[in-house]
Amino acid sequence: MATGFLASCETAIEINSTNQDVPIVYCVLNSADSIQYVRIQKTYLIDQAALNNPPDQDSMLFTGQIVVSMERWSAGKVVETYQFTETNEIPKDSGFFPYQKNILYKAKIKVVANQVYRLYIYLGSKEKVLYAEASSLGRLNVIDPLPLQQRKISLYDGNNYTCRWDQVINAGVYQVSLRLKYKETLYGVTSLKYLDWPQPFASPGSDVDYLSIDISGARFMHILQDNLKSEDGLVREVVGIDFQIVSGSIEMKYYIESTSPSEGALMEKPVYGNINNGIGLFCSVARIDVKNLLLSPVTIDSMAYGQFTRKLGFLDHTLDRDSTNNF
Amino acid sequence: MKKLSSIWILAVLVFLISCDKTPIIPGGGTDIPVAKIVGTLEIEFRVPGSFLGPSRVLRADLSIAKDAESLYKGHFLEMANVYNSKLMYQFDLAPGVYYYQAGIICVAEGDSCSAASFPGGKFGMKWAIGTVEVKQDATVHVIPQFTN
Repeated sequence: MATGFLASCETAIEINSTNQDVPIVYCVLNSADSIQYVRIQKTYLIDQAALNNPPDQDSMLFTGQIVVSMERWSAGKVVETYQFTETNEIPKDSGFFPYQKNILYKAKIKVVANQVYRLYIYLGSKEKVLYAEASSLGRLNVIDPLPLQQRKISLYDGNNYTCRWDQVINAGVYQVSLRLKYKETLYGVTSLKYLDWPQPFASPGSDVDYLSIDISGARFMHILQDNLKSEDGLVREVVGIDFQIVSGSIEMKYYIESTSPSEGALMEKPVYGNINNGIGLFCSVARIDVKNLLLSPVTIDSMAYGQFTRKLGFLDHTLDRDSTNNF
Repeated sequence: MKKLSSIWILAVLVFLISCDKTPIIPGGGTDIPVAKIVGTLEIEFRVPGSFLGPSRVLRADLSIAKDAESLYKGHFLEMANVYNSKLMYQFDLAPGVYYYQAGIICVAEGDSCSAASFPGGKFGMKWAIGTVEVKQDATVHVIPQFTN
């Protein structure tokens, strides 16, 4: 009884338990690509701030045998099997990635629409098999914009653009992104630049023929004002505009919702994952790029002389900067 | 006397309050309609029928200019975003005379576009150009006419 009493008096709390080396796996099947990638890492613990004392590579990546494979299932049967190989062909993105090489696993897979894909990963060092399942999306059909340069895009105050696409089977979330391409000349040096403008996520509707999102022309001018710097002698010339329409699977929708900022009383939401014996995400996306569209002359003139963008150095549609032009 | 003056003040207050017919809207606005200083140009952009399928000839351009020279030089006042699924397009313009142009494009393969009189074959365009007078507080309706 005395032993029990004494033992219960232990009040020290172990704040940092030992690291469990939990596998972290991310794989997004992209139907617009013929090569698919899997990223495998593990959880790590360090005593101090990671930015000041980044962990070494061995504490973030598994050593030993790693076997990555994927199956395509149709009508309850395995139709194809793929083996992944290690690669570091994709350079590290900007941000906090404290390892020397960006190690991924890749396989040549052309994603077939409306199929079930199963991902298996064997980790020799942990004698563990990870497993995940995801469905590929149906075909993404974009209604507007069409890839027609003659149909110029107008985006200025009072003139919005409506992007439309058909519902995609198995999709849970959609996003449209615009890329404005322009030439920038400063001190006699000209470079091709771009500005990306992602639109808010859209969800599937019910009983509708197509989905759409309105892109605000007035907002477009504010985005330019907020994201481009003005400088003496700087001249910009509009080249064109690209549209990227992406649909993501239901798993991606859950993941986005679980990682978006909290609005209610529940401040810490658990991050969604669908990797068995690990954490992370296995999902699919379908993407359509409508490239090299042209902005209308009225839009280009609004960028050159409009109240929000006139200091950004854009040339008008005649490649002039004469604001007395009586357009 | 004191009671009489109180009733008088109350009556004046009630009168003054009841005189304010303007409802107050949260945010500082009122529902007083702002005088419309523009008219509306409504263009019914029909794609003419031909032996080509409906998805082979598409709307491509709908622009408004203040005069013929501006139209010719491409100095437009307004350019609509045109869609396959949209027939009616509206522009709010100050009263006056305007030039409009509507363009359709042929996207059929082979020599179908040439056979349908689209200059240059595939991606050839036809234009309908006209003038219209926009009047204040009125909607003028136009249907561009494509020839041949």
